[in-house]
Amino acid sequence: MAEPVINLKGFFDEARAGRLTGIRCGRCGALAIPPKEFCEQCQHREWQPVPLGGTGTIVSHTVIRVAPRGRGGEVPYAVAVVRLDEGVSLLGRVVDIPFEALTSGLPVRFRPIELEQQTLIGFGPA
Amino acid sequence: MRRVAVIGVGVTKFGKHDRTSAELFAEAAADAITDAEIAPAAIQALYFGNVTGGETERQLHMAPLAATLLGLPTVPTTRFENACATSHVAFRHAVMEIASGVSDVILVGGAERVLNVPTESATEFFAYCSDASLEQPAGLTFPGVFALIARAHMDKYGTTEEQMAHVAVKNHRHGTLNPKAQFRKEITLDTVLKSAYVADPLKLFDCCPFTDGGAAIVLASEEVARRHRRPIWVLGTHAATDTMFVHEKRDLARIPATERAAQGAYRQAGKTPADVNVVELHDCFTIAEIVATEGLGFFEPGTGGRAAEKGWTSLGGKLPVNPSGGLKAKGHPIGATGAAQIAEIVTQLRGEAGPRQVDGASTGLTHTLGGNAATVVVSLFGRG
Repeated sequence: MAEPVINLKGFFDEARAGRLTGIRCGRCGALAIPPKEFCEQCQHREWQPVPLGGTGTIVSHTVIRVAPRGRGGEVPYAVAVVRLDEGVSLLGRVVDIPFEALTSGLPVRFRPIELEQQTLIGFGPA
Repeated sequence: MRRVAVIGVGVTKFGKHDRTSAELFAEAAADAITDAEIAPAAIQALYFGNVTGGETERQLHMAPLAATLLGLPTVPTTRFENACATSHVAFRHAVMEIASGVSDVILVGGAERVLNVPTESATEFFAYCSDASLEQPAGLTFPGVFALIARAHMDKYGTTEEQMAHVAVKNHRHGTLNPKAQFRKEITLDTVLKSAYVADPLKLFDCCPFTDGGAAIVLASEEVARRHRRPIWVLGTHAATDTMFVHEKRDLARIPATERAAQGAYRQAGKTPADVNVVELHDCFTIAEIVATEGLGFFEPGTGGRAAEKGWTSLGGKLPVNPSGGLKAKGHPIGATGAAQIAEIVTQLRGEAGPRQVDGASTGLTHTLGGNAATVVVSLFGRG
């Protein structure tokens, strides 16, 4: 059995250090986050880890005002799907941008957010 | 493969209950067996759906418990969990067991109880149906998922918050005609538009409620159903899956699993969207109804908001959608929802829906969506 080139723990270890990592299919070139076994496009299993620049634009966003248990102190907070410049997308918390300035197409930049010993994907101003 | 029919349906009152999920299911199931005019001992299997029982009731292994409380402790049982599509998934598998010839009569359905825990806990447990590595840590909620979809639909097609509000007003109006509905009160566009944001652009009245309730269906083989007074036939049932990750959706303004499940169900049934007279679809949020009416082929992509605004989906309109009040007004006990939708369509096709009857309905469709639009089941039903 081949060990995966990067697993979810590895993805978050890298993210904590400020490095966003995707995987690229060695056969067809498709990009993906998070790591998976087979390439959805060509069904091969030839991944290579690839560093991502971390800059992209907002595809869609929302401001969460009713939070799950334990997150009530964080509301309101913004969550967005961001399309990275390399063409792959990622969901994360948006910080340091006023809610009213959030709009589709707005440039943002990845940053890790540490919250209660958990690393989450964040995006701030580009 | 053998033909399969629904011969009995049962649904509890939806709302707040002081009974467990297993008790609620047992009540609905006893009603369904009575409605089917069969002996309880004729049931050969139970396909049971429940999602959050481990969290809200500290109760797993709920399928045999439900069978025990029903008074059928020896029937073989299976528990299903596919988020909000749970009991529609169970239904499809039950249809396959009968179609394959393994069993002749199966009880299928589900139940959910969440109003015994605070809203923030229910919100947390429902969020377990999204991905735990990326999405839950970001604080994504289910209103949040559909808010991302709503924003994409507004950006791409110009859909408005007012068009979404029309869905809520319509489903509440339908709910006043359903004695089992959680909400039986009309609301106005203003009620919706002035309600507080839950996840922009979705407001409180764009969201379905948390609900306790149970629903059950008795399915039978053609041989058994032929002896029955009013069988409603399963014409087609198809399931589709899409990526769990919201960020991997290719176009957030569409739900490809709905489109694929619908195509499969229409093909099996030999029907087209134009053949459908009545629909129960998954309006967990107002935008979800708009996107579903497009994905099921009733309206072109981008025009579902206008259809709601024009009243085309109201009782009396060209295609009544959610005559039961939908998830929005009837309520959404997530493990029971698919079975409750099927029960409504069966009631409509029998012509027994009373003041909410769609006149002359002969073909009906049910659509249930689970989680991050990852699971969808679509089924078609007919009188002949």
